[in-house]
Amino acid sequence: MSLIQCQGLNKKFAEKTVLHELSFDLPSGQPIALVGPNGAGKTTLFSILCGYIRPTSGSVEILGQTPGSSALFGRVSALPQDAQLDPRFSICRQLMLYAQLQGFNRRNAKIEAERVLSLMQLSDVLHQKPAALSHGMRKRVTIAQALIGSPELVLLDEPTAGLDPVNARNIRDLVNEHSDNTTFIISSHNLSELEELCDTVLHLNNGRLQQQVDLTGTQETPNPLSYLTVQMDNCPADAFIRRISDIPGVETVETRQKNHFLISYYLINTSPLDQALLQCIKDSQWDYRQLIKGKTLEEQLFSNA
Amino acid sequence: MPTASTLSNNFFRSLWIISEFELIRLFATRRGLLTLLTFAIVWYFMLTGIVMTAADFIQQNASGQMSSMMLNSAGFGQLLAWPIAEFSAYWRLSLYLFPIFSVLFAADQTASDRDRGSLRFLTMRCSRDSIFFGRFVGQMIIQSTLVILTLATTFIVAVYNNPEILMSSIQCLLLISANLFFVLLPFTAMMALLSAAVRSPRQAMILAVLLWTLVSATLTSISQHWPIFEFLTYLIPGVHLENLTELQPSETLSLAYIPVLQTLVILIIGRFVMARGSV
Repeated sequence: MSLIQCQGLNKKFAEKTVLHELSFDLPSGQPIALVGPNGAGKTTLFSILCGYIRPTSGSVEILGQTPGSSALFGRVSALPQDAQLDPRFSICRQLMLYAQLQGFNRRNAKIEAERVLSLMQLSDVLHQKPAALSHGMRKRVTIAQALIGSPELVLLDEPTAGLDPVNARNIRDLVNEHSDNTTFIISSHNLSELEELCDTVLHLNNGRLQQQVDLTGTQETPNPLSYLTVQMDNCPADAFIRRISDIPGVETVETRQKNHFLISYYLINTSPLDQALLQCIKDSQWDYRQLIKGKTLEEQLFSNA
Repeated sequence: MPTASTLSNNFFRSLWIISEFELIRLFATRRGLLTLLTFAIVWYFMLTGIVMTAADFIQQNASGQMSSMMLNSAGFGQLLAWPIAEFSAYWRLSLYLFPIFSVLFAADQTASDRDRGSLRFLTMRCSRDSIFFGRFVGQMIIQSTLVILTLATTFIVAVYNNPEILMSSIQCLLLISANLFFVLLPFTAMMALLSAAVRSPRQAMILAVLLWTLVSATLTSISQHWPIFEFLTYLIPGVHLENLTELQPSETLSLAYIPVLQTLVILIIGRFVMARGSV
């Protein structure tokens, strides 16, 4: 069964069309990324998937059900963007309420509240009120509420925005650890983070689905060119391009950012390029920082090369 | 696939959990307890300053024919119909006071949650109907509790002043509490509806004031010019309060159908607003 099926999805606010004819089919399994610039329609799409708002036209099914239907209670959860907990109640009381609504009895609801907070390394804030927490801690608590009852699908809208690097790392680790049993859909502007976590990327722009990218590399492509992305450590760009271009099979070497190069080459009838590349770097007495097989996500999404 | 019975059980279970949380909001949070303390102080001054003073006045004038005529001409004739003066005063006061309290207490059934986004956490776990009706039920339990507490204090004062009236006091207490329950139903339902349409309790209260002033005056004016539209005035909660004050105590429940029907209509509209709106 598909995780999410969208057909001809449109959403209008007054006269402004925010989503245009979105159609896609997402399987359950590894995390899925939702990317796009500000105003692309990511949060609107999230809101429709969560049942917060209704589409103007088109159809959506999550696990075979309409968003917001009672059959999805406890199976789908979300971190909505900017949603806050009630300042009048302790974290424990609120998480217990959510757990009880998902079918836990009072005793087990408390255990579940403690469990999800410990996943976020926030066990010590159990009896505190939201106002006593920092912005980052409040965000982690709202992520914790999305994990109550180990749902099948968790939608996270900008989960690491505003978090310090250590806690952002913890969130990524948590997603990795739980992705065997839970499918995460993550909206973020941090492409390297999404590249690290996700196998599938939905790219929205101006409310339209620009592309659906498979990052596993298993998707067959008619393009005979292969790619390597290399980040060098202070190396002269001209010399690098000249020497790498001389390696047999290399088609182009392009500079991206400072010390970042994208190498395109023909895989057929050539020895593995990465070995030749590393040998060339060694012979030239340069040093490299990172070598990526293929293009970066950013390159795939925003470059026509 | 969940069966209809499971869905129904889940609905009522969620409804009760939401209602219970409303009680916690008032009785177990600092802000709730502060509200209760304020209410208790206000009620203490009303009980001693208005109810007991009015009861003394009624008692002193109940036997005089001249006084009865004066009360009748002032529109307070039915005060003498109640067997116990304290409850006469309470009845007249509470009929107008508790609806105001209702507007204040019940204005924030879902508005703040919608603004804050916490309604989104709830709608992932239970239906909007459970939230809407759960909050309404919770508010009715809270207001009924306050009615019973204030009636209990009036009862204590009345029985302390005259221990012989214990049985008739209990009858008055039951009759008034039932009447006030019905009176408060449409006010609470109206605030549930208004709260479902806005993002702050203040907005809900402003709409309530507009409803009970402009809309009420407009509908009354229309019904006076075109009596065929008189039924429209029955859409406004509290329309029957004036009639209630003119009835004998034993007849007061005969008008209960009006607030019950109003409540049903308002809740159906409110449920629709809650279901269709964004959260």
